[in-house]
Amino acid sequence: MKLAMFLGSAIAVLSASIAHAQAPVTVGPNGEPATPVAELQLSDAQIAQLKDGNYTAAFAWHELYDWSSAVAQGAKDEFERLGIAVVAETTAGFDSAVQQSNVETVMALNPSILISLPVDPAAGASTYAAAVEGGAKLVFVDNAAEGFVHGTDYVTTVSADLVGIGNKTAEAMNAAIGGQGKIGYIFHDADFHVTNLRDATFKWNIENQYTGIEIVAEAGMADPARIDDIASAMLLQNPDLDALYVPWAEPADAVLSVLRQQGLDDVKIITIDLNEPVALDMINGGNTAALIADEAYNIGVYAARAGAAALLGEAVDPFLVVDALIVTADNIEAGWQQSLHQDPPASLLRAK
Amino acid sequence: MSSSTAADGAKRSLLSRINLQQYVVYVGFLAIFLFFAVVLRDSGFLTQRNLVNIVLQTAPSIIMAIGLVFVLSAGEIDLSFGSIVAVSALCAAMAMAALPEAALPVGIAAGIGAGLLIGFINGVLVAWVRLPSFLVTLATMGLLSGVARSLTNLRSIPVTDPLFTGIFGSGSLFGIPSLVIWVIVAVALGHMIYRETRFGAHVLATGDNAGASLVSGIKVPNIKVMIFMISGALAGLAGLLYSGRLQAAKYTLGETDLMTVIAAVIVGGTLLNGGKGSVIGALVGALMMGMLNNGLILMGLSVSDQMIVRGLIILAAVAVSLREKAR
Repeated sequence: MKLAMFLGSAIAVLSASIAHAQAPVTVGPNGEPATPVAELQLSDAQIAQLKDGNYTAAFAWHELYDWSSAVAQGAKDEFERLGIAVVAETTAGFDSAVQQSNVETVMALNPSILISLPVDPAAGASTYAAAVEGGAKLVFVDNAAEGFVHGTDYVTTVSADLVGIGNKTAEAMNAAIGGQGKIGYIFHDADFHVTNLRDATFKWNIENQYTGIEIVAEAGMADPARIDDIASAMLLQNPDLDALYVPWAEPADAVLSVLRQQGLDDVKIITIDLNEPVALDMINGGNTAALIADEAYNIGVYAARAGAAALLGEAVDPFLVVDALIVTADNIEAGWQQSLHQDPPASLLRAK
Repeated sequence: MSSSTAADGAKRSLLSRINLQQYVVYVGFLAIFLFFAVVLRDSGFLTQRNLVNIVLQTAPSIIMAIGLVFVLSAGEIDLSFGSIVAVSALCAAMAMAALPEAALPVGIAAGIGAGLLIGFINGVLVAWVRLPSFLVTLATMGLLSGVARSLTNLRSIPVTDPLFTGIFGSGSLFGIPSLVIWVIVAVALGHMIYRETRFGAHVLATGDNAGASLVSGIKVPNIKVMIFMISGALAGLAGLLYSGRLQAAKYTLGETDLMTVIAAVIVGGTLLNGGKGSVIGALVGALMMGMLNNGLILMGLSVSDQMIVRGLIILAAVAVSLREKAR
């Protein structure tokens, strides 16, 4: 019910924006306005105070993969800078029951700060009950536990700017096809806030900002494993497509295989997330024109900083967002650094 | 000289009579417990709260493990119980949302009923259609994962009935958490049925030699349908415990439990090819897995190191357990 309310409010904001042809805006889990992370800073005196405090921190991740590992690394580096020891790290394999067990387990160590991305916000109240009871400063990534009160139960939510990503995706599409053309729009057909908002913002931008581009085909993707069928059907029915929007990079890799199979070298792909095979295609002059990424590493840095600020009694805004960026073949190294704070994989460096 | 040889012979004979396999899980449990108790003495491992947490977190796995003991003992396997957990939890949550005025009975009926029905279908396909249980339950596992996803379009369903969440999650009776009571009741009943009843004996006989059992008058097909229904019902109960504890049901519940529960049951002294098993061993095996997860996290290991160490310890425990059985 609460999840429905949250999603309802987020979608309502978006729908209202669309209905009035106004640009969508990123809002937090409870409709809070977004604050750029750069506004959260600690003075030298505060850092010294933290270093003397013998504070500890723990992570209860949803799952660890390249994006979340970059977030985790950002948080670890920031904690090290602030003299806060990381005492435990867990991952839940996207299982909310496992995540609750993990939170209960790490709370045996009484960490001062707990950073977590909730697997299931609807189950958040029970998942994080042990952390609230244990007095840990709880910092969420991406989404907050439903029913939790900012400033009382949790410090803040640090997230990517979803609307910012959607805007950049449309901007990259416009650049890829020179402001004119017919495109196919494949969206994530599931009730999932992150992808729903990114997809809808992309579409809004194309329809309202880039009027030279026309969406001539659209299809929902419920199961990423079936993306080949969706892309094949779309290309069969619309042989004159100039480009495709694919909601994230993993299915985009499968779409690439369909394009290669059919010899469609001129159809561009715009997608989201840094992904090695798709980036390799981009560097090699393949179909991929651009990848849109968020500053994952910075999400971790500012989540850690927000928890530390809360330990010092500082008020932190409820919803902090990091920037989004467009990565193309020309800025692949800088883009990888800005997003993940690491060099691109060796295969990409070799291909350049 | 001759008396010492006779004494050695007697010792060897005594050792050979003690079935070491039965004790592997207990020795392993004790060794891991002592290791963590020493290494993590200042890290909260031995606090009452942490030890209770281990039992609470392991409760659904223990319930599933009891069902698997019956299935393996009868010479079959059930790979679908993890998926039954999610479907049962979602059915229960949806039924409760539809009929909030009678949330508890409809939730229980829907959750356990779904497990029983799926178990019955598994059993019929194995016992009467005579398909291999590995393939049948592999197929139903995939099928049910799809059903769980489509039931709610990947959304989670909140479970808000306080009576339900009390009985199946956060409640307690005389200071004993309800999940612990469920474990005690399920293990006691499971052990009694397995060891003390004719049905338990027939399950073991079926697993030991199905042909001979049939000739001796045991209704082997019926036994097989029953054990899959037990496994399904217990997976359904695990689903209720998960949804009660989380106060929500989601398609991911139980998905990660399959391998852990199988390992717990094998380490606990149940033979993979039937004819022998132990409900108490499965209980200790499941607790050992839970303790391992807990201790490795408290040790501050990185996630990948936790996975590697856990995998190595489970491999060692299963290897020792199976080697002892082979003797």
